[in-house]
Amino acid sequence: MSEYTPFEMIAYTGSRVLEDERIVFVGTGLPIIAAMHAQLTHAPNLYMIYEAGSLAPILEMGMPLSVGDTRAARKACYLKGLCGAFELTQRGCADYAFIGGAQVDMYGNICSTIEGNNYDKPGIRFPGSGGAGAMAANCEKTIAIMALEKRRFVKKLDFVTSIGFGDGSPDYREKAGVLGSGPYRVITNQALFGFDEETKRMMLLEVKPGRTPQEIQDLVDFDLIIPPDVKEMAEPTDEDLRLLRDVIDAEGYFLKRVIKK
Amino acid sequence: MTNNVSSKIKNISTLQYKEKEFEYWGPTPDEARKKMVNKSHALKDKRVTLKEAVAAHVKDGINLGIGGFVNTRVPVAIIHEIIRHGGRDLTLSFQSNSICPELLAGAMVLDPDRLSIKRVELAWWGYEIIGIAPLVRYLATNGMIEMDDYTNYGMSARFKAASMGIPFIPVRDHGGSDMELVNRGKMIECPFTGKNIYLLPACHPDVGIVHTTAADMYGNARIFGAYCTCPEIAMAATSTIMTTEKIISTDSIRSYPNLTEIPYPVVDTVTEQPYGSYPGASYGYYWFDMDHMKMFRSLCDDFRKTGNKEGLKKYYDEYIFSCETYDDFLEKVGYKNLKKLKDMDGGQSIILT
Repeated sequence: MSEYTPFEMIAYTGSRVLEDERIVFVGTGLPIIAAMHAQLTHAPNLYMIYEAGSLAPILEMGMPLSVGDTRAARKACYLKGLCGAFELTQRGCADYAFIGGAQVDMYGNICSTIEGNNYDKPGIRFPGSGGAGAMAANCEKTIAIMALEKRRFVKKLDFVTSIGFGDGSPDYREKAGVLGSGPYRVITNQALFGFDEETKRMMLLEVKPGRTPQEIQDLVDFDLIIPPDVKEMAEPTDEDLRLLRDVIDAEGYFLKRVIKK
Repeated sequence: MTNNVSSKIKNISTLQYKEKEFEYWGPTPDEARKKMVNKSHALKDKRVTLKEAVAAHVKDGINLGIGGFVNTRVPVAIIHEIIRHGGRDLTLSFQSNSICPELLAGAMVLDPDRLSIKRVELAWWGYEIIGIAPLVRYLATNGMIEMDDYTNYGMSARFKAASMGIPFIPVRDHGGSDMELVNRGKMIECPFTGKNIYLLPACHPDVGIVHTTAADMYGNARIFGAYCTCPEIAMAATSTIMTTEKIISTDSIRSYPNLTEIPYPVVDTVTEQPYGSYPGASYGYYWFDMDHMKMFRSLCDDFRKTGNKEGLKKYYDEYIFSCETYDDFLEKVGYKNLKKLKDMDGGQSIILT
């Protein structure tokens, strides 16, 4: 087994989570890489939707560097604008939202707007919702990619940008007027999380080989549900790494990024 | 905004914010209707220079609707002209954008008496792969601009509502997130289903700025690649300034009227401006110039980190203020650079005849 990086583990795990014959609404970077990997391996009939307006493109010019990249429109089946992409999603054509964020809470709500809770004068201003808030509301299932750190897996967000299960009450999403069934998976390089059907709380599903559930809990500021049957995360094979490194992100735009502390 | 009907968004986050009374941040639906009715609806030659277009339409205090999406078909040539022209207390409206609002923000940092941004209704302001946008971070964290947050669909739907001549649009997002609290949408009970549904107010910019793939001299425009929200913005705005990669014949427009995405009555001026989105991308013509974006972004980030405006000032002097036209700027960028970007587009299919 070859060595792999945290980003490669996230992309590979993201790929594993996606099922064939589905449509994934992708965000820039690792979600695109994960979806491309899935298409090349276990999900040849998985298609992507990009919020600038393209559905099911053939990415023969290489990986789009952003969701608005003109390359993401290449040989699409359907190419409109943002209204077209998001209205297909409201209608029920997008199965997975694939998003990221700065903070997540135990109910899968995500912040990507501000850090520091004063909206009118925040400590840090992030770019904002972009498509994420709409994707989390209206794709059928939400998959989030997060860095596993205590300051990111928090008890309370500074700002709810992308709706998860809210306060965990069973009718929270219905009262909010949104359509999708909500948070499905949270992917990090050391653990894969899901959500408990009854309490809507985040639940540990898999840990990286060599890690214990307690070590994961120590990196999370709220109490995780830790079932007795936590599995080990599958690791990328040499062939998976070849696809990620040499075929999908051959220039290393995302996988070779240096993590800033 | 305070709602007649509450979703359950309470106490989910630690957010603090000021409750705002509702107001339109641009023309009301009635004002926008009146302006459209009072325009000439003749097919007439609308070709002018960008200097003439901006001088005629850009005034202090307007709501400026910016087309494109992040780095794609962004109306940079028009932004340069607006910076040369000036404009104070601007409201900006867009879904996701990178260099256009950053260029305006940089102009504000350098000389707020010439150009200033009062507030922004938006979904996202950043560069994606290139990094965060330093100047929105600077302006917002110092409380120098008011922000009003929506999703990408939310802003697009608001322009769409305005383009349809309706005062609001129901959407299936924002509810249950803190955007429900801070933005100007409103939760109501649907009169038909009895369930909660979120309404967003229409967004009519005073001036919409868009860059298109091709247009005739009347302003009938084609867009290839993603439309972004350009048709909706052009139709929502009370005045629309358009640049286009290429002026094409009206015979061609009339041969394939289905390809017209922006119809002539909503367009006030048309200017042929090849590379009008540079350093952004324009499908079928050129890819985006990551190096130029990185260079500009790093100057902005230097200012944010050190407070030193020298690098920024040099950029504006060199690339904007010492240029009469966008062609002067493109000449400084150089043929080899532009040719490389043209090759990187890879000849995406567009129809010009």
